[in-house]
Amino acid sequence: MKILCVCGLGQGTSLILRMNVENVLKDMGVSADVEHMDVSSASGTSADFIITNNELAQSLQGHAAKIIIVNNYFDLEEIKNSLQEAL
Amino acid sequence: MDVIFWIATNIFGTPAILLGFIVLLGLLLQKKSTSQVISGTFKAIIGFLIIGAGAGVIVSSLSVFEPMWKEVFGLEASSLGQFMGQEAFNSKFGSAVTLSMFLGFLINVLLARFTRFKYIYLTGHMMFWTSTVFAGIAVHTAGGEASFWKLLIMLSVILGLYWTFQPAVTQPYMRKITGNNNIALGHTSASVALLGAWLGQLFGNKENDSEKLKVPKGLEFLRDPNVITALSMGTLFLIGAIILSFKDTPGATALIAQAGDQNFIIYAIIQSLTFAGGIAIVLMGVRMFIGELVPAFNGIATRLVPGAIPALDSPVVYPYAPNAVILGFLGAFAGAILWLVVLGATVSYIFVPTMIVLFFHGATAGVFGNATGGVRGALLGGFMTATVVAWGQFIMVRYLISSTVPDTAMWAADSDMFILGPIIRFLSQLFF
Repeated sequence: MKILCVCGLGQGTSLILRMNVENVLKDMGVSADVEHMDVSSASGTSADFIITNNELAQSLQGHAAKIIIVNNYFDLEEIKNSLQEAL
Repeated sequence: MDVIFWIATNIFGTPAILLGFIVLLGLLLQKKSTSQVISGTFKAIIGFLIIGAGAGVIVSSLSVFEPMWKEVFGLEASSLGQFMGQEAFNSKFGSAVTLSMFLGFLINVLLARFTRFKYIYLTGHMMFWTSTVFAGIAVHTAGGEASFWKLLIMLSVILGLYWTFQPAVTQPYMRKITGNNNIALGHTSASVALLGAWLGQLFGNKENDSEKLKVPKGLEFLRDPNVITALSMGTLFLIGAIILSFKDTPGATALIAQAGDQNFIIYAIIQSLTFAGGIAIVLMGVRMFIGELVPAFNGIATRLVPGAIPALDSPVVYPYAPNAVILGFLGAFAGAILWLVVLGATVSYIFVPTMIVLFFHGATAGVFGNATGGVRGALLGGFMTATVVAWGQFIMVRYLISSTVPDTAMWAADSDMFILGPIIRFLSQLFF
């Protein structure tokens, strides 16, 4: 399973999201390949899931991956709930 | 002795390999699987090498942009003289830069462990650019040569202090914006964010909060830095090319001749997109190695510092005031255009209005300005960002870093680096 964590520039924020997602997945006992990147690169990268915020999700409409929306990248509870719902 | 010399030259003296070892160590400490260790180490090394390649692309495009606007303003002197350039600088001083990032981070962790400043700086890409630019200033001040150990010690201490206290300085406003004390700002936009907050307090109207505004839909593309870079640089290249097409000066003729058979305006537009492409390459390289480094840093910090507050990249504040983000950027954009003209006409400097810096810093200053002064605070914060970035870039490229990495300073150096630049120069004069 491949998951992309996406922010505008693909540098800092998406990396923090990736670390939090990896932690949550570990707690859930799910193994996945998690990458972080910018919104332009993500639109051309295949994946099973994309995790991003509401604004950027609109730029990724039509992507084959299922898009999971997380608005607070630092809220482990929100990440966990969204992931449990989607997986 | 031969063995030590060999190791010093080929491992510590080859930044990509040194970085590979640091990342390898970090991945092993995190007890990652064998395949993760191997792929992570290689990705970090490749990423670091990509940066140099992308920097070359940016320079090739800037070396059209700069003379073109010089001709537009009818200037004689070039902003760029002889300089080392990012790739050569990396291969010569990259080891000191990489190690000082690591040691600076350890100083940050120790300060957080033993003082009341619990902030851990986790914005890896800004750590890299800050280290690079400060090293560029130090080496320039030292006359192009600097001893590895002196450079390493000076940079590590300065960076360790900066990474600990920058989040502390912005935290009172961060509490106001986020409503809690869980996260801090760890970003080089701190100085303009503070300026935004102060100006908002002085001249703003807190009641007129930006979030009461209705921002038109269809501005989503503003969230993609590749697009805003291409769009704004494209516009500037286009304007420059059109003006030049009507000029008969020898400089203009020579530049137009560079396009060969291609129409000069099309050539200029391709150059602007090449600039955006170069930045995308560099960012991809930075992402590849920072992505392996920061989780290791995070692992170290959470183990050693109980109650650590992560200091994070500037977009953490954007969800708290999305309209202020747009207003801050608009203020910064207007300021950038104004200062482009003023700097060209008065001090003969061609300002490169680097959109990534203007967007992320303007937006952060916008959110801080809105917190104290509403819409007016957000716009003022953005405008002040452009002011610091434009004048800062002029001073840094021309006086502080001109022989080392002015090519990087023209698009990747930003607010805090410009504010601290003269101090770094002063300290380097004392130290070297």
